[in-house]
Amino acid sequence: MTVFEHAIGFGLVTAAILSLSAVALSLQYGVTNIPNFSHGAFLVVASYIAFEMQRVSSNLFLDALIGGLSGAALGYVINRFVIRSFTRQGTRLIIVFIVTIGISIIVQNALALFFGNQAQALHLPIEKAHHVGPFIWTGPEIVIMLVALGFMLATHVLLRYTKFGKAQRAISDNVSLAQVAGINAERIVTITWMIAGFMAGISGVVLAVDTGSFVPTTGFFFLLPTFAVVIVGGIGSAYGAMVGSLIIGLAMEIAAPYINASYKEVIAFAILAGFLLLRPHGIFKTSEERAQLQ
Amino acid sequence: MTGYILSVVTSVVVYMIAGLGLNLEYGWGGLLNITYITFVAIGAYISATLTMGPANSSQAHYILGFHLPWIVGVIGGMVAAGILGLLVGIITLRKLRADYFAIGTLAVGLILFTVIGQDPAIFNAQEGLYNVPQPLSSALDWGLNGYGIMFFFLCLAFLVGVYILCEFLYRSPFGRAARSTRQDEIASAAFGKDAFALQLKLFVVGSVLGGLAGALLVTYAQAYNPAAWQATETFFLFVAIFIGGTSNNRGVLIGIFIVEGLITEATRYLPQIPGHADAIPSARQILIGVLIVVILRWRPQGFFPEPTDRDVKIESRQRGGLAGRVTGLAGLRHGTAGPVELAAEKASAGREGGGT
Repeated sequence: MTVFEHAIGFGLVTAAILSLSAVALSLQYGVTNIPNFSHGAFLVVASYIAFEMQRVSSNLFLDALIGGLSGAALGYVINRFVIRSFTRQGTRLIIVFIVTIGISIIVQNALALFFGNQAQALHLPIEKAHHVGPFIWTGPEIVIMLVALGFMLATHVLLRYTKFGKAQRAISDNVSLAQVAGINAERIVTITWMIAGFMAGISGVVLAVDTGSFVPTTGFFFLLPTFAVVIVGGIGSAYGAMVGSLIIGLAMEIAAPYINASYKEVIAFAILAGFLLLRPHGIFKTSEERAQLQ
Repeated sequence: MTGYILSVVTSVVVYMIAGLGLNLEYGWGGLLNITYITFVAIGAYISATLTMGPANSSQAHYILGFHLPWIVGVIGGMVAAGILGLLVGIITLRKLRADYFAIGTLAVGLILFTVIGQDPAIFNAQEGLYNVPQPLSSALDWGLNGYGIMFFFLCLAFLVGVYILCEFLYRSPFGRAARSTRQDEIASAAFGKDAFALQLKLFVVGSVLGGLAGALLVTYAQAYNPAAWQATETFFLFVAIFIGGTSNNRGVLIGIFIVEGLITEATRYLPQIPGHADAIPSARQILIGVLIVVILRWRPQGFFPEPTDRDVKIESRQRGGLAGRVTGLAGLRHGTAGPVELAAEKASAGREGGGT
């Protein structure tokens, strides 16, 4: 078992967590065209709700589900009571982006006010390591990857085979055209925010399981790697986000043994900066699609 | 008490310089630099380490340590911040949409925050710099608050200089061209304005002013570490700009006074909640977040809106009185704005954007 294989094992787990957060952000970004700076709030609120739920139920799956649902509820509230009042009056997107920064500050500090800034941790069963091929994973890590895989399959089915997915793609292409075709855009947008909140919430809980602890700023610091994935994969492309999370997750963990481990995020930011510079439309978008974007 | 008031007014004056700098970038250029505080920090670190003596390796590690005169340190800090602005600007401004640009600046800011916060060899990591020398502090006998008063007036002099510079730039062809680019990049380009060059200049000047604010801040505080430049600091400055009225220099000064003076200082005296040491900083930041949302929702132009826009419109209406009336008739007849109005608008856009 080499350092390299070990790093790939870690990288796949990180990629799994990233993929949940990033596919959620990419879907919401693609459909609503709003870069949601408060995306990290979904993750961290869900972590705290799951943490509180552990007092009631020791079933971690149930706690994670409730955490995810709280993320969905937050997504509903943010869209319904804040974002919508801006988009309805035709506010410029960059202003809406700043508004989501405000939301992120409010949520993060509300959590600090209620729970304090000290690190909290979920109670996890003690697990022994499992050997899978060349990799060593703990039980929770395997579950995290299976959960992420499940969500990716569900996203695929949702986008390809349901009417909702079709409507979603239509809106992200052209809102007014979609509305002319009889699609209730506002309803699709609402549901998209809730799905994004749910998936990001699940991502927050599995992040807390994987790293062992969380603080109110955890979501903010996970936001940048998430944005990196979304931009690498191309905004609005769920499949791009899946590939992007593999790239970013593996790059972060493979680089970690060779540099200071606390610089892991720096790798993600550097990839983000590189993509913004060279391929701001992501790895997959063809020049034709790019022309449509502009 | 005098010492306390001095510390408040001095920091407010220094933040006003930073606010004017950020207003150049965001208010004039529409450049959403959400890591402006990083440029302030670079100015602070570089100016401090230029004026400090060589690092004593048993106590602190840092680069430079040249024992240079204070004013050289200030200029060095401004130049360093300007160079960082130039590099970031060249990379991010050329072709990025506003949201990508904002995310790009945040990425740069977090990279520097992580590296400076973790690597003790650069600026002593989390412990940071301390015992930063103050100019003239030992040359004269300053008494109890004499030095503080002198330094306040020194900062005030810098602020006055920066304000005059900003007002001059605002009225200059450069300032008008920059604002016309923010309002309509394509129309401005049609009048021969190079948006990239204009925005890059604004970004560099804004960064230099941030560096100046950082240099003054570190001289005053005599210490600096990563706790002083967390990401939220930038949002305090943004709220001040939103309150004051984007792009209006005077409004920004009032906004900074309200945010850094009134809100920060007033919330300091809220009663402590036992066992909740973080409660007051959190409450203050929640207030900042709420202000961002509320002001942008109900008063996006701020309380002291940009003056020229309205003036220009009134002016063009007066000058183009005939054109306005003709448009009215044409509008009645066709139900739309006639070509005359478009021509009048083009003429006013020409006045706004032209002249360089």
